[in-house]
Amino acid sequence: MRINFGAAGRLILVTAALLGGCATTPVQPWERGRLARWDMRWDPDPLQAAMREHAHFSKEGSTGEIGAAGGGCGCN
Amino acid sequence: MRTSLPRILSIFVMFAASAGAHAAVETVVGKPAPAFELPVFGSESRHVALESLRGKVVLLDFWASWCGPCRQSFPLYEKLHGELPAQDFTLLAINLDEMADGPAAFLYEHPVSYTSLADPAGDVARKFGLIGMPTSFVIDRDGVVRSRHTGFKPQDIDAVRGEIRELIAAGTEGRQADAN
Repeated sequence: MRINFGAAGRLILVTAALLGGCATTPVQPWERGRLARWDMRWDPDPLQAAMREHAHFSKEGSTGEIGAAGGGCGCN
Repeated sequence: MRTSLPRILSIFVMFAASAGAHAAVETVVGKPAPAFELPVFGSESRHVALESLRGKVVLLDFWASWCGPCRQSFPLYEKLHGELPAQDFTLLAINLDEMADGPAAFLYEHPVSYTSLADPAGDVARKFGLIGMPTSFVIDRDGVVRSRHTGFKPQDIDAVRGEIRELIAAGTEGRQADAN
C-alpha cells in the first residue's frame, strides 16, 4: 500500500484523527452517582478549604491571589 | 493497492461525526408508556409490572440517593400518595442507584409507604428517555404517558396533584357513563 500525502493532507489527516478522539458516550443523568460523591468534590471539606485559602491568601495577598488583594499579616 | 486521501479522510470524518451524533432523546409523552417489570427494592423476589397497574393513574418517579431534589420530593410525594384514593392512583418510584447501600440509607431517612423498584442498570430510565434527575411521569388509566416533570421544586407538587386529580376525575366520569 502506497500513500502519498502532501503537508496539507497530513495536517488534515491528523486533525481528523484527533477529532475522532472527541467521540464519547455521554454520561446519562442516572449515571452521575459517582460524580455526585462527597470525595469527588473540588473541596471535599469546606472548612479545611477555607482555612487553607485563608493561609494562602495571607501569604500571597500582595499578588491578589484568590480574587482579592489583602494584607499579609494573616490576622483578618 | 493505492489508498486515496479522500477515502481515508472520510473514515476519520465518520469517527469525528460520531462525537456529536448522540441519538436524540425521543419523548414518550403522548405515547403508551414503555412496558417494564422490575424487582421491588429491598425485596428482589417481588416484581412489579407497569402493566399490572392499568386502570389506575400512575405517578412514576425516577430517583437516586445522591439526587438532592429527591430529598424534597419524597416527603411531598408521600403526602400525595396518602391523600389520593388508592383504587384510582398509584405512586411508583424507581431507584437508579448502581449500589444498594445509598438508597437503603436514603429510605431510612425518608421513609415512604409507596413502592420503590430497583433499576440499577438504568434500562427503564433509558426507555423513558430521562434527561435529568429526578424525573417523574404521569401515566393515565390507559397506560398513556400524559406528562413529564424533570427536576423537582416543592411548588411543583401542586401542578402534579392537579393533573392527577383531573385524570382521576376524567376516568371516574367515563366509568360512570359506561355503567349507565
